[in-house]
Amino acid sequence: MRRGATVMLARAALLLGLLAAWEAGGRAANPLLTVPPSAVLPALWDLVRLRSYPDLAASLLLTLREIAAAYGLAVLAGLGCGFTLAFNRLVGRAYGPILAALYAVPAVVWYPSLMLFFGLDAASKIAFGFLLGFFPVTLAVLAGIRQVNPQLVIVARSYGAGPLTVFARVMVPAMLFTLVGGLRTGLALSVIGVIVGEILGSKAGMGALINHAYGLLRTADYVALVLVTLVLVVGSDVVASLAERRARRWTE
Amino acid sequence: MRDPRVPAIQAVSVLAVLAAWETAARLAWMDPLFVPAPSAVARALGRIGGAALAGLGDTLAKTAAAYVLSVVLGVTAGLAIGSVRLLREVLNPFVIAAYGIPKILVLPWIVLVLGFGTAPAVFYGTLHGLFPVMVLVMGAVRDVDRTLVTVARAYGATTWQLYWKVLLPAIVPSVVAGMRLGIVFCLLGVLVVEMFAGVRGMGYVLSALANGFQAPELFAATALVSAASIAIVLALDHLSDKLSHWRG
Repeated sequence: MRRGATVMLARAALLLGLLAAWEAGGRAANPLLTVPPSAVLPALWDLVRLRSYPDLAASLLLTLREIAAAYGLAVLAGLGCGFTLAFNRLVGRAYGPILAALYAVPAVVWYPSLMLFFGLDAASKIAFGFLLGFFPVTLAVLAGIRQVNPQLVIVARSYGAGPLTVFARVMVPAMLFTLVGGLRTGLALSVIGVIVGEILGSKAGMGALINHAYGLLRTADYVALVLVTLVLVVGSDVVASLAERRARRWTE
Repeated sequence: MRDPRVPAIQAVSVLAVLAAWETAARLAWMDPLFVPAPSAVARALGRIGGAALAGLGDTLAKTAAAYVLSVVLGVTAGLAIGSVRLLREVLNPFVIAAYGIPKILVLPWIVLVLGFGTAPAVFYGTLHGLFPVMVLVMGAVRDVDRTLVTVARAYGATTWQLYWKVLLPAIVPSVVAGMRLGIVFCLLGVLVVEMFAGVRGMGYVLSALANGFQAPELFAATALVSAASIAIVLALDHLSDKLSHWRG
């Protein structure tokens, strides 16, 4: 108990120390390049009251919709692709290594082609978010299937369970742990994909606002926009972790 | 257990995709402005070959610098933090947060402070590669069998010997796994910086080609970077296989 208290105290002290260092460093540095937290708070307040960027709400909504579309497509395609490869041994052996090789390529190399093909609007961000989210979901299905105990499947079959029952009652519960983890990673990567896409080139969305503030050296506004975007990132992960915990409780 | 049908299917599939793509492009089902035929991409590769290779060399040099920094700093920090329980418990949430946060959000600020060119690319690449290595090493050090440490201490090992002779050899598999993971992250980071604020390198080449609507050249350059990164990862896999044989 006492050890836990010491750890929490040390964490709080470290956090305060970091903030204090940022404040001191920010005051000493060129205000165009670095701003202290005390300058960020008013900027954040202006941002939330829609003073500095009146289209904040619309930008947030656009980014959220891009994430939703990208992740939805990634889950559908990832599950479809994963189960196809997993249920067909030959296909899995042939295409699994190709998939793994493509996964070894840093995904951002595809982004310029996507931007050329889909344009500067939402479609290229959705495509990039999809691409990043697709791989973890597919790979989680493949890893999950390997964890299913074949004995369980044989026993269920011999007791007369049909293929659909085996799938829903035996395989899915046995692989859920891995599958849900992959779905969570997929969401995190889809979110990152959309944000990276927006920052590398866009006309609207949070990334466009961040680029605007950065380009005009409105550094306090830039930090405030980053904080708002971080809320979006952390919020999506909190939702995913709640869903994950729920699914795990259900399997136990 | 080698199935001779597997490589056959792989080869046929790749050829079929290329053939279908070529046919679709020739029949003008797709706008060649956006999706050029594979033959056009191959010709484009010949045209941009020299410039693209120079860009690739530049990118790989920055990646190598970022990678060395990531592995050295990641292993050192992971070893130091992972082996001291209080330090590990206090710092763990900070490390996880730094690992998880999309680093692209701080990229504009890094470019603002470090300018364009090599420094921000190496810095950002290191930022990407450092945390996966560090997190893996921290976990591995935590899970090292306590008996090993106790026995070494009982036989009078100094702290230096404990780290160098007991902990470091025990975590070699995790270090190798981290190195395998880190290289892709470093390359990713360097490419992102080059795309965002580059004046040289493959990321800059790619985004310049995209902005110039030079689709065949863009596809050729993309294929070149992809092939390079697949080759690097396969080489590291091969190396880690050899290392695990040597360790037994």
